[in-house]
Amino acid sequence: MSTGTLSPQIPPAPPRRRLISPAAGAVTAVVVAAHALAWHATEFSPAALVQGWRGMADFLGQALPPDLSWQQVLLPSLRAALITLAIGLLGTTLSVPPALGLALLAARTTAPNRWVYQAARSILSFLRAVPDVVFALIFVTAVGLGPFAGVLALILHNTGVMGKLWAEAMEEIDLGPRDALRVGGASGIQIAAHAVLPAVVPQFVGLLLYRFDVNVRSSLVLGLVGAGGIGFLVNQSIKLFRFDEMVTHLVVVMALVVAVDQLSAYVRRRIGA
Amino acid sequence: MTPADTTRRSSPPAAVVEAGDPALVVRGLRKSFSGRTVLDHLDLHLASGEFLALLGANGCGKSTALRCIVGLETPDAGTVTVHGHRLGAARGTEPAHLRRQTAMVFQQVHLVRRRSALDNVCAGALGRLPLRRSLAPILFPRALRQEAMACLERVGMADRAAEPAGRLSGGQQQRVAIARALCQRAKIILADEPVSALDPAAAEQVIGLLAGLAHERGLAVAAVLHQPQLALRHADRVVGLLHGRAVLDAAAATLTATDFEALYAPDHRPAEQEPR
Ligand SMILES: Nc1ncnc2c1ncn2[C@@H]1O[C@H](COP(=O)(O)OP(=O)(O)OP(=O)(O)O)[C@@H](O)[C@H]1O
Ligand SMILES: [Mg+2]
Repeated sequence: MSTGTLSPQIPPAPPRRRLISPAAGAVTAVVVAAHALAWHATEFSPAALVQGWRGMADFLGQALPPDLSWQQVLLPSLRAALITLAIGLLGTTLSVPPALGLALLAARTTAPNRWVYQAARSILSFLRAVPDVVFALIFVTAVGLGPFAGVLALILHNTGVMGKLWAEAMEEIDLGPRDALRVGGASGIQIAAHAVLPAVVPQFVGLLLYRFDVNVRSSLVLGLVGAGGIGFLVNQSIKLFRFDEMVTHLVVVMALVVAVDQLSAYVRRRIGA
Repeated sequence: MTPADTTRRSSPPAAVVEAGDPALVVRGLRKSFSGRTVLDHLDLHLASGEFLALLGANGCGKSTALRCIVGLETPDAGTVTVHGHRLGAARGTEPAHLRRQTAMVFQQVHLVRRRSALDNVCAGALGRLPLRRSLAPILFPRALRQEAMACLERVGMADRAAEPAGRLSGGQQQRVAIARALCQRAKIILADEPVSALDPAAAEQVIGLLAGLAHERGLAVAAVLHQPQLALRHADRVVGLLHGRAVLDAAAATLTATDFEALYAPDHRPAEQEPR
């Protein structure tokens, strides 16, 4: 039984370190090959870029200076930016209840059983795998062009992303408080409410703010496919070859994105998330 | 034979539970993890009004035993009887109020750090609250808050009730955790190394508190300790575990320090079976 005693033997030699293990060599070869194939598949060509410089110059000539006329361009641009912000806001907030519900079912620490856990995981994976632009295209055909389609698209995709991240946060918590309450006879829902959720509040809020930031940027892209907001204006000005208007819209977009990013970062710093 | 009778008692027991009543009886408890036997036919009994110290080397199965008793682990064999009612092997196979009679206190206290001490204590009562009164601390009934305050008062923490649990010192947190067990209205308190992270003065205070709950309120209290001296000073009875069996069971008054040597002798330590 007692094998743990020390004996005056020569200690076994530590394993030798090899410069490159066969596994690392194989991985390197595969990665290099994948890049070569990808270069070929995407018709990557610096030469074509250099040859196209004249087109670029033309474009810049038309785009600058930006058209800053208040009534025709800037005011509509600012209004549309507010709509974009609103899409991002609703798309984030309204996805909180479904994301929270699915996260509780998709975290091993709170799922009632294996089947529910797997089902919730699958739903979240699906929602996350389908890009919000694709959801937007679907909803534009269902509810028509406009911001509402954008909100619906963001809710679905964002539920998938937040639900997964929240579920992971809930799986990483210290299980001690859960055990203590379980011994006291608390039910699964009570344990979620009193041991799991309080432990993940900072991560939840941090992720929520981060997703708000991401969703405002996403709603720009959604506008490009007809789901309202300033992206829609960018798309229109490109179609009408009004590149000077487009640049104005892009400047407004930049200001919006920077402002939201700063705000979200500030709040996250303040709550220490 | 009632071991509690053989020992000194600082004050007469309150008429909460009749002293000497066998609160907890464990018979033939067995548990192995992936083929390795951790509990090997463990027998244990604990009377109301008794403070039992559980001693043994690291890895001898003390925590596993307590976790099996409260149903956090499912034992492979054996029975647990609480006040004459036998519990099922797994949780949820017997009336919930039977399980609630036993509370557990942990070395790492396991409080929710961001919640106030009072909310943490209230959470001990979740098992008997209806769902609609229990989903958030704000819904807790007034009577429960008052009861929780009384529990905090008992452990000397009433003045820190509003403070987030994570901001209290280790000893204070441990006392709040004990208050949570009281708010659970448990008749049996099992404490797994409640003072291993505490300084000697705080340890003395917490163990004195646990002993007081046994002797004054008639609760059945068992605590895993790693300090034989502390056990000798406060416990009524000492049980020593070795390789998942109870090899020592005697009134604390009859024991001396040498009686513990066998428990910790290096020869008796099981060989480490960690895979390389
Ligand atoms: N969930 C688990 N899975 C696998 N092995 C476990 C598990 N829990 C405990 N063990 C093993 O059971 C043995 C006894 O562990 P236990 O925690 O009960 O010991 P202990 O007496 O409480 O020790 P300590 O004094 O260090 O707390 C150890 O070898 C441990 O590795
Ligand atoms: Mg232990």
